[in-house]
Amino acid sequence: MAKSPLKIPLTQLGRGQRATVECSALDALPSEHRCLLAAMGLGEKCEVRVCRAGTPCIIQIDQTRLGLPRDIAERIMVTPLEPNGS
Amino acid sequence: MTPRIALLGNPNTGKSTLFNRLCGMRTKTANFPGSTVAHQVGRCITKTGQEFDLIDLPGIYSLLLELPESRLCSECLEGRIGDGRPDGALVVLDANNLTRNLQFAASALRRGLPTVIAINMADLAERRGLVIDEHAASEVLGVPVIATSARTGQGMDRLLDALTKTALQSRVPKPPQPYPATEPGSTTSALWAAETFSQIAAHPARTDSAEMTIHDRLDAAFTHPLLGILCFAFMMALLFASIYWLAQFPMDAVDSIFAWVGSAVAAAIPAGTLQDLLVNGIVGGVSATVVFLPQIVLLFFLLALLEDSGYLARAAFAVDRTMRRFGLPGQAFMPLLSSHACALPGIMATRLIPDQRDRLATIFIAPFMSCSARVPVYALLTGILFAGRPLAAGMAFTACYLLGALAGLATAALLRKTILRGPTAPMMLELPDYRLPSVPAAFKIAVDRGLIFLKNAGSVILAIAIVMWWLSAYPKSPSSAECASLEARAVEVQVADPEAAEALRAQASRIDEREQQAGSFAGQLGGLFEPAFAPIGLDRQLTVAVLTSFLAREVFTTTVFVLTGAGHDADGEDSGTLERVRTATRDGGLPLFTLPTSASLLVFFVLAMQCLPTLVVVARETGSWKWAVMQFVYMTAVAYGAAFLTYRLMT
Repeated sequence: MAKSPLKIPLTQLGRGQRATVECSALDALPSEHRCLLAAMGLGEKCEVRVCRAGTPCIIQIDQTRLGLPRDIAERIMVTPLEPNGS
Repeated sequence: MTPRIALLGNPNTGKSTLFNRLCGMRTKTANFPGSTVAHQVGRCITKTGQEFDLIDLPGIYSLLLELPESRLCSECLEGRIGDGRPDGALVVLDANNLTRNLQFAASALRRGLPTVIAINMADLAERRGLVIDEHAASEVLGVPVIATSARTGQGMDRLLDALTKTALQSRVPKPPQPYPATEPGSTTSALWAAETFSQIAAHPARTDSAEMTIHDRLDAAFTHPLLGILCFAFMMALLFASIYWLAQFPMDAVDSIFAWVGSAVAAAIPAGTLQDLLVNGIVGGVSATVVFLPQIVLLFFLLALLEDSGYLARAAFAVDRTMRRFGLPGQAFMPLLSSHACALPGIMATRLIPDQRDRLATIFIAPFMSCSARVPVYALLTGILFAGRPLAAGMAFTACYLLGALAGLATAALLRKTILRGPTAPMMLELPDYRLPSVPAAFKIAVDRGLIFLKNAGSVILAIAIVMWWLSAYPKSPSSAECASLEARAVEVQVADPEAAEALRAQASRIDEREQQAGSFAGQLGGLFEPAFAPIGLDRQLTVAVLTSFLAREVFTTTVFVLTGAGHDADGEDSGTLERVRTATRDGGLPLFTLPTSASLLVFFVLAMQCLPTLVVVARETGSWKWAVMQFVYMTAVAYGAAFLTYRLMT
């Protein structure tokens, strides 16, 4: 599973792309949003798949789908996986 | 005392379906003292005859979040609210999202209550290739773990057995390794969940790529800025058309039942004060509200089906962009739409909005939406304003709906810049899987909502009806000379022309009714408040009609028809009756409904807060009377100001 060393905002991923959420990925968010997202499954080391890019940004973690507004998604830093890297 | 077990879990785990499966119809809705978050309590009976109460707590993602639902669950588990600490807990996990759900289970297990875990929707997970090892899971977690499917009933008997053995016998969790000490989402918690998952699941979930593509496409369509809005508009048009079309049959039935009850009471009790109170005060007053019950039940039934299908969460994102411009989140749309049927369920539906400021703003503007109780008033006044011009009347009718919605949105924008200042909370929602909705579950939700509405009708609205009857029935005035003269003429022509005699008696009765109204406490109040309403074009009679409508706006049409001596047909369909209202005169002989008066009244009714039950529900939902009083004062002031401007511009 090769990882790109580059961290990019979640909004820069295209539909179908996968990425991992790294430590401090949610640090740019206010604590109440960070805690809620973490409890909803967007925790550290989790793998996300983009189901819909844009507004809202819909991501899939495990079998959970989360809808996020753009201003939140663009503050979540992720490390993209290779297109076939999952 | 019957043992109590708290039912906990993340949202979308099938927790409520499990609750319904275990308790059937032996449930009731309740509020913890001092809390506005409702929960359900159901009675469970095991095969051995043991009974316990299951407390269905709201679905939450963590016990430590700064959200009212999280605080309530936490306080319930600690015994700080309700009847002390529960005797046990039943934690429901979604088999398809075990990694996240296990973290929640660990945080619940740390509370030390005797606990049983249900891994629900196990049938769906099996279809995806996931096999759960219950025995291993019980070993690792230190509590009984049962794989269940609340939809099919799989595992229910074993779940009840486990609850009887564990929770009812006070067996506390005994894990071989301690649960992670951190909250869901932290690194420690995530690592523990991943490790636990690998020990309890025989195979990892298989990814079904074709299914995901269909989901992706549906999501893209339903949340698209244009297509999403069009889909939503179509769904809502279908929803409301169904409500109006389907509800008319049960509404007619409710009307007939009350009419039959009224006649039966009138036949059983001799004419007099008691008969008048029962027939006109209680039966008549309560029926005016209960007649809307079918609409409310249908609305909640159809909304529950839509929600269960997974569509509503997507629709909330489609409208979020537009709502946000007025400082409201996407979740506010559904309560506001519901308010077009009746503000009461609309305000109750604001519980879906997690942010308190967003919720307060939505509650505040919900009564601006044109509810079905305004419809008879709109029909009457647009009919008078545009007599013989149905197209113009229809456009005016639509304009009333638009004016109400715009005033509400403008108020929301104003609130978010003043007393509810702050950014609109971003909408972060879990999008549940698309599925065929459960009709029994939707039926149960609709029945529960209907019962809440009936409870209101049986208490607050009943009290209003009695007070209104008393104010408009007393003190009794002696019959006037005009009435006596008409009665005497009726006796004279009785033999020669019975039809003319009947007409004379009817005329005398109408005049007497009008005089009784004028002399009653309500009539006297009209005289007292007339100077306050004169600037918007109202006379004493219309002032009485508006004053009575402050309790329930639909009362206006009835009062106008009675006061103008137009008879009791308040539905406005009888052209003769409408004509009499249109040509009715004031005490000085001037027309009662001039063009400026009708327009000013119409604007007043669009914008005014004239519904005591709504104020009561607002006070209950916000936890104090402060918001209800503010809402009443603000809406009345806006309505009065706008009606004054309309009157002045048209005079």
